[in-house]
Amino acid sequence: MSTDPKILAGLLFGALVVSGCATTSIAGDLDGIREATASAMLPRVERDDVEVETGADVRELLGAPLTPDRAARIAILNNRGLRAALRDVGVARGDYVQAGLLPNPGFEFDVREPGEVGEPLQLEFFGEWNLTRVVLAPMRARAARAELEAARYRAASAVVEVGYRARAAFLGYQAAAARLAAANQALDAFAASRDAARALFEAGNIPGLDRATQEAAYESARVLVAELELEAMIARESVQRVLGLYGEETAWTAESELAELPDELAIADDLERDVLEASFALAETRSRLEAIARRTGIARTAGWLPDITVDGHTERDGDNWEVGGGAHVSLPIFDRQQGTRAAREAEFDALLERYLGMAVDVRSSARELAGRLRSAHARAKHFRDAILPARRRVLEQALLQYNAMQIDVFQLLQVQRELLDAELRRIEALREFWAARASFDALLTGHAVGVEPTSSAVSLGGASEDPGEH
Amino acid sequence: MDRREFLMWSGVATGAAAVAKVGGVAAAQEPAHPGGHGGAVGAATGATGASAPSVLAAPTRTRVVAPSGQVGVHTPNGSTLPWRVVDGVKVGHLVAEEVDHEFAQGIRARCWGYNGGTPGPTIEAIEGDRLRIYVTNRLPEATTVHWHGIILPNGMDGVAGLTQRPIPPGETYVYELVVRHAGTFMYHPHYDEMTQMALGMMGMFVVHPRRPQGPRVDRDFALMTSEWKLEPGAARPDPNAMNDFNLLTFNGKAFPATEPLMIQKGERVRIRFGNLGAMDHHPIHLHGVSFHETATDGGFAPPSAQRPETTVLVPVGTTRVIELVPTESGDWPMHCHMTHHAMTQMGHARSTVGADTRTLDRRMSRVLPSYMSMGQRGMGGMGEMPMPVPSNSAPMRGAEGPFSYIDMGGMFTILKVRDDVASADPSGWYRHPAGTVAGPADPARMRADGIDGGSGESR
Repeated sequence: MSTDPKILAGLLFGALVVSGCATTSIAGDLDGIREATASAMLPRVERDDVEVETGADVRELLGAPLTPDRAARIAILNNRGLRAALRDVGVARGDYVQAGLLPNPGFEFDVREPGEVGEPLQLEFFGEWNLTRVVLAPMRARAARAELEAARYRAASAVVEVGYRARAAFLGYQAAAARLAAANQALDAFAASRDAARALFEAGNIPGLDRATQEAAYESARVLVAELELEAMIARESVQRVLGLYGEETAWTAESELAELPDELAIADDLERDVLEASFALAETRSRLEAIARRTGIARTAGWLPDITVDGHTERDGDNWEVGGGAHVSLPIFDRQQGTRAAREAEFDALLERYLGMAVDVRSSARELAGRLRSAHARAKHFRDAILPARRRVLEQALLQYNAMQIDVFQLLQVQRELLDAELRRIEALREFWAARASFDALLTGHAVGVEPTSSAVSLGGASEDPGEH
Repeated sequence: MDRREFLMWSGVATGAAAVAKVGGVAAAQEPAHPGGHGGAVGAATGATGASAPSVLAAPTRTRVVAPSGQVGVHTPNGSTLPWRVVDGVKVGHLVAEEVDHEFAQGIRARCWGYNGGTPGPTIEAIEGDRLRIYVTNRLPEATTVHWHGIILPNGMDGVAGLTQRPIPPGETYVYELVVRHAGTFMYHPHYDEMTQMALGMMGMFVVHPRRPQGPRVDRDFALMTSEWKLEPGAARPDPNAMNDFNLLTFNGKAFPATEPLMIQKGERVRIRFGNLGAMDHHPIHLHGVSFHETATDGGFAPPSAQRPETTVLVPVGTTRVIELVPTESGDWPMHCHMTHHAMTQMGHARSTVGADTRTLDRRMSRVLPSYMSMGQRGMGGMGEMPMPVPSNSAPMRGAEGPFSYIDMGGMFTILKVRDDVASADPSGWYRHPAGTVAGPADPARMRADGIDGGSGESR
């Protein structure tokens, strides 16, 4: 029989069209990641070109004094590492598209010139197509789809991680700058003690030892302030790195005060369940388990499905067109993919063990971060509501005693410096609360971040440095 | 006695008060409450209105309480223990208790005392009297009463553990004694003295002689000196203080709460001092008079042994009696001459006298805006400055005077010697005759005298 070549071509064309339906663009993946991470905006990395210049949206965000939220948004848009992680989704998507493609048919065309005169040219067409691969293609596509899901979850984790790191770095900078401001006030108080000592010494009222003691205390305090300046500078640089800023963009300003402490703290009762449900790492591992399961299925199918290649050929011998077809079948007698199946099953079981271990870790993270958050909140609240008011009352009473000439200006300034020292610790406690809050929120969004240890222990209270009193 | 003395004496007899007879019939004494008034009953109206600065007391009208016209002892800011005579025995009641005491306006503290006050009521008797004194203990701990300087049976001496068991809280003991010797004595606890006396337990004990020696005295005052450590802002004196006392008192009061002594010019005045403070002797200096030390708690001194002085040193644990005849009217201070004892609640902050604090002040306006440098030009005027100070304190406080602020406090009072004390206002000031007040020098007079006001050298 003669097969209309047009119909054949039509079938081939249809297969081509159908197989090209899966898109290589990650726009849809990015939308899904943005929803899952509750981000405001993600960088537009679905485009092919890599923008070297900083985006206009980032420059606009840099225009106002930064807050932890704005810093997180800038980092998500601008951090090159995150942009790379998002583009990595394209790799998985490409693999997914590739896995769903139908195999290419093979064609052969022969021309032969017979030796005898008057004989026409002999033409031969041969075409073949591996049917087994066609059957398995959708299965492979579904396995690759699961890997794509896993890649999306990994990218979502990266988004949350960068957002948290941006907040943490920014809080560290805000706190360091606020501590530096308090330290400068304390330095002013040291300078006032020094001024008082100088004035009293000039008037002959105190000996050189007392004056030298106050001068030494002032100079020591200057070094402490310099250390805090360095801390602030280092903290600022870590913000620049996370936010991916350079050149003129590094000249951003920050809100001078950390956000106020909320009075109440609400932590859900079934925290562990919420965190387990939200966890990207667990979801990624589930996707990867699904991928392995599907690959196991592919191996199982390939184990009994013979490898079938169908072919057809047509030949012109003289004036006749001969048409024929056939199939090439490879029977699974010896190789039934037993090894591959076992390997996939072992891989699945291993990953399942890891999955269960991850769940334990995630539950523990939930409890630990909730505990850190509660503790940080209680401590920050205690500083705000008890310690600072108590220290202010001490200063008020000290001023009354100074007015009654029971203490002198050196003791008064020492009390003032102790108040500022408490202020330093209040700022640190508040920073610790907001950082704990950010890590807790990150966990509720789906990603467990590594928690940093608490920072600066610089104290400016100093000893009284006042030998000759009373 | 001359006519003036007779008139004064009989003038009192027409008052509501009965005249004390030989034999010890009790006169109607003023009630034993703190802030009570000396002198005539008619004056005991209870008017303690403290119009600044001195405690208002009616002019004391002397009354005779002992043979030969001996006048009763007036205890400024204090009271005298009332007697009830039972079968020829004078019966009195001392209640040892915690008291709420005002040292001066703005300084109140929880102290320990007798019959509601510190010092306790003055006990006044006549040589030979039989006394029965009940002592009720309402303190949290045991106590006794020792009669300082009085010769009596050993078992009545009031030394806890040695001559009696101490009086437990809540109980009443009784002391029976015959005051066989005249003199100026005191009474105080002899159990946990450090605490009980530091918190204010003490009183004067005067025994008039049957046959008085020396010239007749027209007015008789008793003053106890005390020293306290009361930190500004605290409300109980520190009984453990051994030095660094910051509150000094006459009869429990610091100037300007000390009642002035109203005195008639030309009268003979006796002042009996008693010092039961913890550590310090006090040199009490009187302005405008010289006097003789006429007696101690050992007895009367013969005239040849009476030291002439303007300052009497009253050591701890002694009494000293002086007699004086003021010849100049006026407001004459009487005060401890230890300069720190005439300043209330002075601290020991570093002196800033002479310091140029302009740089410091500029910086402090940034560091601590409510700070103010003080004392660069000295301490005068500190009491007047309206600065916030710790509650319940009056550091360096003095009083408004007729010319300007008087920057004294503590152990300081005023002898108001008047030409006619009967019509004098105890809260009023002396009206100086023209030309007797130190004032600015007239430049023409200065030139005539060859004084250069600028350099201070005479040409």
